[in-house]
Amino acid sequence: MDRSATSPSALTGVARGNGDAVFATIVRCAAVLILLGLGGMVAVMAWGARGAFATFGPAFIIDKAWNPVTQHFGAAAPVFGTLVTALLAIALAVPLAFGIAVWLTEIASARIAGVIGTLIQLLAAVPSIIFGMWGFAVLVPFMAHYVEPFAGHTLGRVPGIGPLFRGAPYGTGFLTGGMILAVMITPFISAVMRDVFLSMPAVLKESAYGLGMTRWEVVRRIILPWSRTSVVGGIMLGLGRALGETMAITFVIGNANHIGWSLFSPGNTIASLIALEFPESAMGSLKFSSLMAAGFLLMLISLGTLVCSRLLLRTRAAGR
Amino acid sequence: MTVAEKQPVPAAISVRNLDFYYGANHALKNISIDFPQGQVTGMIGPSGCGKSTLLRVLNRMYDLYPGQRATGEVIFDGCNILGPKVNLNVLRARVGMVFQKPTPFPMSIYDNIAFGVRLHERLDRAAMDARVEDVLRRVALWPEVRDRLHDSASALSGGQQQRLCIARTIATRPEVVLLDEPTSALDPVSTARIEELLDELKTDFTIAIVTHNLQQAARCADQVAFFYMGEVVEVDSADRMFTAPRENRTQDYITGRFG
Repeated sequence: MDRSATSPSALTGVARGNGDAVFATIVRCAAVLILLGLGGMVAVMAWGARGAFATFGPAFIIDKAWNPVTQHFGAAAPVFGTLVTALLAIALAVPLAFGIAVWLTEIASARIAGVIGTLIQLLAAVPSIIFGMWGFAVLVPFMAHYVEPFAGHTLGRVPGIGPLFRGAPYGTGFLTGGMILAVMITPFISAVMRDVFLSMPAVLKESAYGLGMTRWEVVRRIILPWSRTSVVGGIMLGLGRALGETMAITFVIGNANHIGWSLFSPGNTIASLIALEFPESAMGSLKFSSLMAAGFLLMLISLGTLVCSRLLLRTRAAGR
Repeated sequence: MTVAEKQPVPAAISVRNLDFYYGANHALKNISIDFPQGQVTGMIGPSGCGKSTLLRVLNRMYDLYPGQRATGEVIFDGCNILGPKVNLNVLRARVGMVFQKPTPFPMSIYDNIAFGVRLHERLDRAAMDARVEDVLRRVALWPEVRDRLHDSASALSGGQQQRLCIARTIATRPEVVLLDEPTSALDPVSTARIEELLDELKTDFTIAIVTHNLQQAARCADQVAFFYMGEVVEVDSADRMFTAPRENRTQDYITGRFG
C-alpha cells in the first residue's frame, strides 16, 4: 500500500470526539460495581460476625451448642447438616444426571431429546418454595410411612452402614433434605454433562464404536475420561447450589440443632438456621452476630466450591 | 461385468443392489461391488458421491444415527450384515475402520492398542505386550514410541497418531480394514509411510480405501471404483482404470475435467 497517500495527521488526531472514552468509563464502572458489591458483602458479613468470633474464637466452627438461653452458640451442627445434605444430593443427583445426559446425547432420537431436554430445563425454573411445599406435603409423608421404615428394616441391619438408616421415621431429616436438593440440582448437572458430551468429536466416538465397543464401553472408557474435568466442574456447580439452597430444605430438614449418624434424624443447615432465626434475633445481639458468622462460613464454602469448579472448567478449556 | 467374473480372487465383501438413505436423501443408488480378498480397493470420485457412505455401511456405522437406513445386501462371511440379527460389536471388530483425522483415545499409547484387544480377547500380560509390539512394528511406529509406550497418545505427531490408529485397528485382527481418506490430514512424508504400510497390510487384510488423491489410488490400489452421484460408474483394475477407462465420466474425472 502507498503510505504517502495518507496524511499523517489523520493517524494521530482525534477523529470523532471522545465518545469512546466515555463509553469505556461507563462499562468499567459497571464492572467495578460488581467487585465493590462482592467485596462489600464479604466485609459486612465479616464485620457482623466479629462479635461471635471474638466471644467463641475459632471453636465456633466446631461447637455443637446453639442455645439462646445461655447465649452459647456454635456452628458445628448447621455446617454438618449443610455438608451432609449437599453431599447426599450430589450422590443422588450425579448418577441420575449422568443417565439423563447419556440418554439425551447417545440414545434418544433428536426430536425426543429436544423435548425431554427442554422439560429438564423447565425443572430448573421451578421456584424453590414450590419444591419446599411439594417436599413437605408429599415427600415427607412418603418417607415417613414407606421409605424410612422399609430402609430401617433392611439397610438398617446391614453391618457398617446400618447406623445411617436407623432411628425414628419422622419423614423430615437429612435424607429427605438431600433428596429435595438432588431433584433441584439434577437439571443443572445434566445440562453441563450434556453440553460436554455433545462437544465431543463424533469421529472419536465412531472410532470407539468402530473397534466393536458397546455403548456402555464407549461411555465408560472414552466419553467419561475425555470429559472428566468438565463433568467434575458441573458437579461442583451443582454442589454450590445445593449448599446455599434455603427454602426447600427449611421445609423438610426438621430444623433441629443435631449431629448424628442417622440420616433419618432431623437436623438443620446454615441456610435454614438463618432463615428461621434471623428475623427474630435482635440487631447487635450475640445471636445476631453468630448467625452472621454462620452465614460467613456458608459464603466461604460456596465461594470455595465455585472457585474449584471454575478452575476445573478452565483447565479443560485451556488444554484443548 | 462384476470384477468377480474377471478375477479368480474370492470376494471378502460383496455388495448387492445397495440403496442408502440419509432421511429422504437417496445417497447410494443400487450399488453392486465386490471387495476381493487380500486386495486394496480404492474408491474415488468427487465429494458427496457416496464413497464414505459406502464405507459406513460396511461396518454399519450408520446405525448410530437415527434416520439413516440401507436396503439391499452386503454379504460378509456368508451373512447379510444388513440383517437385524447381526452383532454389531463383533462385526465392527471384524471390519475395522480408520478415519480421516487421527482419533487417538484419551489414554496411553499402549492402552490405545490394548484397549480394543481386551474387548474381544483375554490375553495375559506377556501376550498383550507382544501384540502391542507386533502391531506397532507393522505400522513402523515401534522405534519411535518404544520408550514412551505409557505416555499419552495425544503427544504424538499427526502422522504418528494416524499410524497408531491403524495399529489399533489391526490389533483386533479384523478381516477387512476400511480407510476413509486416511492421509488427507497428513504431510507428504507421513502419507508415503502409510501408503507403504497399505502394501504390507494387504497380505493379511482386505482393504477398502476412500481417497481424493488419484495418484494415491493408482499407487496403492489393485482395484479402483469410480463413484459419481451415488452410483458406481466403473470398477476395474487400477492399471486399466487410469490408462483406459471405459466410461466417459471416469475419463473426465481422472483427467481433471470435473470434480
